[in-house]
Amino acid sequence: MDPKAIGILYWREIRSALRDRTIVTNSILLPIFLYPLIIWLVYTGMTFVSGQNEGLKSRIMLKNFPASHETLKREFERDQSVILVTSSDPPADLRTGTLDALVEFAPIQSALPTANNFTARITYDESRDASSQARLRATQKISRYRENYLEQQALKVGLSRAQYQNFWIDDRNVSSGREVGALTVVLPIFFIIMLAVGSMHPAIDSTAGERENSTWETVMTVATSRANILVAKYLYVATMAFTAAFLNLFAMIFSMGTVLGPLFGSNLSLRIPLASAPVVLIGALLLALFVAGGMMILASFARTYKEGQAMTSPFYIALIIPVMFLQTPGVEFTPRIALIPVANVMMMIREAFQGVYHWRPIGITLAVETACVILALRVAMLVIRHEDFILGSYNGSFGKFVKERFFR
Amino acid sequence: MNEPVVVRNLRKTFYDEGRGEIKAVDSVSFECHEGEIFGLLGANGAGKTTTLRMLSTILAPTSGSAAIMGHDVIRNPEGVRKNLGFYSATTALYPRLTTRETIDFFARINQYPADLVQERVDYLIDRFALAKYADARIEKLSSGMKQKVSIARTIAHNPSILIFDEPTVGLDVLNALDVQETISELRSEGKTIIFSTHIMSEAERLCDRIAIIHAGHILACDTLAGLRQNTQQHYLEDIFVQYVKSGHATQ
Repeated sequence: MDPKAIGILYWREIRSALRDRTIVTNSILLPIFLYPLIIWLVYTGMTFVSGQNEGLKSRIMLKNFPASHETLKREFERDQSVILVTSSDPPADLRTGTLDALVEFAPIQSALPTANNFTARITYDESRDASSQARLRATQKISRYRENYLEQQALKVGLSRAQYQNFWIDDRNVSSGREVGALTVVLPIFFIIMLAVGSMHPAIDSTAGERENSTWETVMTVATSRANILVAKYLYVATMAFTAAFLNLFAMIFSMGTVLGPLFGSNLSLRIPLASAPVVLIGALLLALFVAGGMMILASFARTYKEGQAMTSPFYIALIIPVMFLQTPGVEFTPRIALIPVANVMMMIREAFQGVYHWRPIGITLAVETACVILALRVAMLVIRHEDFILGSYNGSFGKFVKERFFR
Repeated sequence: MNEPVVVRNLRKTFYDEGRGEIKAVDSVSFECHEGEIFGLLGANGAGKTTTLRMLSTILAPTSGSAAIMGHDVIRNPEGVRKNLGFYSATTALYPRLTTRETIDFFARINQYPADLVQERVDYLIDRFALAKYADARIEKLSSGMKQKVSIARTIAHNPSILIFDEPTVGLDVLNALDVQETISELRSEGKTIIFSTHIMSEAERLCDRIAIIHAGHILACDTLAGLRQNTQQHYLEDIFVQYVKSGHATQ
């Protein structure tokens, strides 16, 4: 290895890349602007739809209303968002959408002094937003009324509301400083996607792109070893992947803080513990090296940019699938999960964002990713020994190449 | 082995799924003298490019040996490349680098002394009249200009040996003449040049010695006068045809 030669080749790659519209768009602009913009649009859309729902009038039918709770009925009548209707066939009207919710009251047979107890059964159609909204409004109204009613009953016997209820659940969140909300779930997914997107175009550009531009043979005649050329290209692709992922991370934190923060209020904490930085950095670096290796090996069998895109797409999807799978609630960062490449880093980063460090799985993750990087480099070194590959005369994919050269 | 280029019994065999084993180059031997233009004359598919690719270490020979300035192409490929400038229609330039950056890059990566690189870049820009385009990206240049930059990058590290593999393919007459003139100038500077072509007039005009290559074999290697004497033909085209026909007959 010649660090000086690698440096010269590496900076040539970077310089060229920063002048290529596709690479700049996919590895720099897209991570900074597109995904934060998409998230902003999605949440703005959700807020808009939610606002539209607020303006909807809910057609609610009250059946067998208990006479002793006239106040509740008056509250239904006063509510501008509710229209009280009657129906001779409520189930049919619910199906056709002319009725949004049916609230049926039934007295509870009890020997207790609270003789005015009742149950309220709400029938609605969850497949319709208007019906779900009507159910929500009816539930909230009845719940609020019950709270007031209980408070008055408590006052009558000289007790406070809490004393009257006897049992009380008091929640206390101890997660201050380690957010458990949307941020830590969303960010690792985008992080992996951005690593893949950020490495794809540079990988194609530095391999298939060179063949397409007829510069491949030019670089093969320079006075340095092919290993140096390979390492320089590899470091360049990994740099672009790493850069894309981190630019996206910062852009997401910034945009979520400034744009989405006010929408979610205190539910969206944007604090990422500084202590998580070393774990996140090491994980991201290893992952960038692995993804870059995979992308380059596949792309290097292509002879044109288009072929390169077709050959790297399956790898891109393969990277995303475990990430999506791990979004299932209840999945924990266990030593077994730590054995799955890519998914392990995502879990490690997710926990680090939450300020949680399970050192055994972290150790396994780092070992597995390092092994993956070494394997990718070994495969690359084996491949470049073949002349037809170097000349670009080999006509086929990586899979065909492996089958022909190593299993025949 | 004092000659700058020595080639002995060089062979290259490819395997093709459809055609089986193909001998692209078969027992090729020649030497190049210092400061001469050595022509490799042959039709398309004769084995010129494969031979030159082996000399430039892009391909490894199946058997035989070759040395450039004493460096063996198998044992010391980097030493070979350091002393060699390789130019062919398939060695294009990086489109997003400027002229200056291109020459600078190839000088540095080919181990030209770092403290002299800037001076060398300025010299080559001046020599090829590229000053106006020094900071323009390669992708913006005309074919003729690209050709000049290509030659400049080939000699950026001031190598002793230069290989030009069909350098005028695809060029118009004026640009082709420019390239020939440059090659001639490089000979006057003491460079040893291997020049491959299938255009007889180019070989006639430029080469000090000519090797006629056909079907992977060298059929003859001599000065133009020597070839004329051996065949009793005046025009190189006739000489070439005579050798190829007799070569076929021999095979």
